[in-house]
Amino acid sequence: MSKIVGGTRRVPSANCGTRRVPPTLSRIALFLVFVAMSAAVALAAERFPPPDFTDHKLPETSQPSPRGLLLDYLDLAALAVGLSLASYLAIVRRSRRGLFLLTIGSLLWLGFWRQGCICPIGSIQNVTLAVFDQSYRLPLVAAAFFALPILFALFFGRTFCAAVCPLGAVQELAALRPVNVPAWVDHALGLLAYVYLGLGVLFSATGTAFVICRYDPFVALFRRSGSVNMLIFGACFLVVGVFIGRPYCRYLCPYGAILGLVSKVSKWHVKIPPEECIQCRLCEDVCPYGAIREPTVALPATERRRGQKRLALLIGLFPLLVWLGFWLGTRLEAPLSRLNPTVRLADRIRQEQTGRVEGTIDASDAFRNTGRATENLYGEALALSATFHTAGGWFGAWVGLVIGVKLIHLSVRRRRTDYQPDRAACVSCGRCFWYCPGEQARQGWIQEITPLQRNV
Amino acid sequence: MTNSSNQKLDRRAFVGNALRVAGAVGIGGAVAALAARKGQSREWVWQIDPAKCIACGNCATYCVLDESAVKCTHSFGMCGYCDLCTGYFHPDPIALNSGAENQLCPTGAIKRTFVEDPYFEYTIDEPLCIGCGKCVKGCNAFGNGSIYLQVRHDRCRHCNECAIAVSCPSQAYRRVPADDPYLLKIREQKA
Amino acid sequence: MNTRSPFPIVGLLIGALVLAAIAVGVIAVLRIDPSGEQGSGLSEAFDYDLQQYQKIDPALFHYKQTAAISTGMREPRAVAVGSDDRIFVAGDKLMRVFAPDGAKLKEIALESEPQCLTIGNAEHAFPGRTYVGMKDHVEVYDPSGSRIASWAGRGEKAVLTSLAAAENDVFAADAGAKIVWRFDTDGKLLGRIGQRDESRNVPGFVIPSPYFDVAVAPDGLLRAVNPGWHRIEAYTFDGHLETFWGRSGMGIAAFCGCCNPSNIAILPDGRVVTAEKGIPRVKVYSAAGQFESVVIGPETLAPNPSATVETRAEHKLRPVDVAADSRGRILVLDPAAASVRVFEHK
Repeated sequence: MSKIVGGTRRVPSANCGTRRVPPTLSRIALFLVFVAMSAAVALAAERFPPPDFTDHKLPETSQPSPRGLLLDYLDLAALAVGLSLASYLAIVRRSRRGLFLLTIGSLLWLGFWRQGCICPIGSIQNVTLAVFDQSYRLPLVAAAFFALPILFALFFGRTFCAAVCPLGAVQELAALRPVNVPAWVDHALGLLAYVYLGLGVLFSATGTAFVICRYDPFVALFRRSGSVNMLIFGACFLVVGVFIGRPYCRYLCPYGAILGLVSKVSKWHVKIPPEECIQCRLCEDVCPYGAIREPTVALPATERRRGQKRLALLIGLFPLLVWLGFWLGTRLEAPLSRLNPTVRLADRIRQEQTGRVEGTIDASDAFRNTGRATENLYGEALALSATFHTAGGWFGAWVGLVIGVKLIHLSVRRRRTDYQPDRAACVSCGRCFWYCPGEQARQGWIQEITPLQRNV
Repeated sequence: MTNSSNQKLDRRAFVGNALRVAGAVGIGGAVAALAARKGQSREWVWQIDPAKCIACGNCATYCVLDESAVKCTHSFGMCGYCDLCTGYFHPDPIALNSGAENQLCPTGAIKRTFVEDPYFEYTIDEPLCIGCGKCVKGCNAFGNGSIYLQVRHDRCRHCNECAIAVSCPSQAYRRVPADDPYLLKIREQKA
Repeated sequence: MNTRSPFPIVGLLIGALVLAAIAVGVIAVLRIDPSGEQGSGLSEAFDYDLQQYQKIDPALFHYKQTAAISTGMREPRAVAVGSDDRIFVAGDKLMRVFAPDGAKLKEIALESEPQCLTIGNAEHAFPGRTYVGMKDHVEVYDPSGSRIASWAGRGEKAVLTSLAAAENDVFAADAGAKIVWRFDTDGKLLGRIGQRDESRNVPGFVIPSPYFDVAVAPDGLLRAVNPGWHRIEAYTFDGHLETFWGRSGMGIAAFCGCCNPSNIAILPDGRVVTAEKGIPRVKVYSAAGQFESVVIGPETLAPNPSATVETRAEHKLRPVDVAADSRGRILVLDPAAASVRVFEHK
């Protein structure tokens, strides 16, 4: 086996790319007969009979089934209900309390009871694997977990992040004393999420690993078991999360990156003031995630021209950035392919053969006992390395693209008259609602506000 | 003026909505197509291929659960029912009885019951088994190899990426369909 | 609420705490090694180690290897000695005949995979005739190599593992039925040996795996291995159990594991050559069952040091077959090397 995930080995000649011929009934019947015959022959040939007991029935090996599909569909229903509820609470009812309660509910159900697996963040990898490996059939639940929050985000914004995602929920509860993260740090770290997305896709497309699942900081907490290092990792995230709100969501979550992009074009989105913004800035102050953007000021003509020149330069540099990223990415072939067990094994076997390392490990012993020729293994490892060469290039191009787009995005002149949530970064948590005087007026907590004079 | 600008906004809104709906249908359709490939979507669970397993012991410690979901399994149809079972007894037992000093299993998870002269039956007490595979090695060294490790699906968490699968030195783990989740050495009639 | 605290020291503390948490987190995650190369981390109590039982005192080896004849087969299964000390090897779907010095003499193609074989010696009714045991029936070949007969199958459960030829009888050890069939030279069933019979003190054969060997000894008794009892039993041709010897244990003079010896051969003076599986070794005992010498041990029989304890069926060492020729040479069929190794007394 060349990889740990997926069904059969991905050898171009063997499994993928076969022509799809609609099977006729007779063909199916013939195949079944053949299977039955070979199974019977195999059973008869291999099994040496147990002793002939005078009066003893052989016990059967117990084969307990995995939990039924029903529970998976229940999870799916919970997700759909949660998404609908979150969208309703964020956009229609504008209820922070409701969102908070839903957050706790999601944490308890999707987090501690279902133990946070399978989740939409990990499902990116399942979908990627299904695209690149013909033998892996994507389960319906994984597909739905991937698609449903995206579909909701297309219409309602990042309401999944608000109150449904258990990882977001635990960070939401941990954000007790959020501090302001400087804008440049925020933008720079935000790129990490896209890089992580690229890595997650890279490793699942090559069938090497599900890194997003492997380094999920909170799943050990949800399971209440796991390696000590993972528990420490999760605890550190929570400690950081006390001060920097939602660190995983903002700077690492690959699914958050996707949802952010989709949310930019959503039909509806969380709005802070129900009517007019009076520029009091209370919302910007309260947002723990720095997701509220201030109104823009008009720039003098010289500044505008400089800005335009910069924008033009960045657009011109963009293809260069992508190409450079591709080239640098191909250089990453060695470190990236090390994650692949076949490549690592081939490395180890070669080291042992050339005497560069003493002794053997279980994996090399096991390989030698298969009697398989080392040339065979080396060939397979080389082929995989070549895959990583191209995949690394694409990954590098993606990072270049992301950096380029980010720079262009920062240089495009925006025009905002009000304080607005950033459509990509706002997770629809609804904390700003309570602080907005316009909302307070709507709720009837204060009397009608008089519009303040605005700066033109 | 306002009329035309209103119209423009309406058109824009319409196009925007149409694109969103198209996008939604596109995403939903593509993902559904992946799931429904070859007419069947299925749930996958992890299982050990006993033909590749080397009983290294990683199954006992790499599972994300405190008590590993991997346990020893016995295919009774393959067993020799030997008096001196090398999967049950230490290679050099003092006596052929169930004394702890004679047993191979460090947790005493195998039970030995007399059947008829000179045959004994060996069953695994799952709560005591930790999945270390020592008995598997013993059975395979001298015997028929009727004891081997399998993932028990009433215990397994079905992680998207199995931590034991990653650590397996012989890459013995693979995905199997949830309705046929065991790779037993001999296919028995399912109850 | 975002902090714009009037106390900058608080900000510094928070910054320090955050950086410390990030550092600890990064170190923790870098220390994770999911590859399993560090091993299971279980204590020594969970190790299964046969090394101590595999060591054999070199002084016990009274035989040295003098030749190795390559069989050229992918899967050789049985070795036997024919007239003029010619060496017969059965494997794959054929039978090869070698001269005593190793020169290849003949190759006979067979219809199915042979499991065992024996050749009628000079006292046999048909000297030089070869009896080849397939899985469930016996085929007879004349000295020139053409098939003269195929006897009736012994049934679905039959697993023939060994053949032996006396003057007028041919014995087939059936591991599946756990019995030794007695035929005449035409293939007619004359009787069965070893069926459990309390009145005759015959305990019956305990055969947990398809290794069950018989041989005719110079004293006129049939030697049959009872693997589950770790002993070699001597029967008259009528099925009367005369004597037996052998004990279980890991020591060099005993038979290791749960069911051994897997194969035997009888030297011209009646001494018994035994081959064991699990800890692969070939030993010589006196006719009465006294341990005498080791012929070959695991160090030279195993293809690599870790292959002796492997859980995958195809990686287990396939048990060796043994044969003895009239000069007292011991032939060991080494399946890993697919060769017949010839040993002579030092």
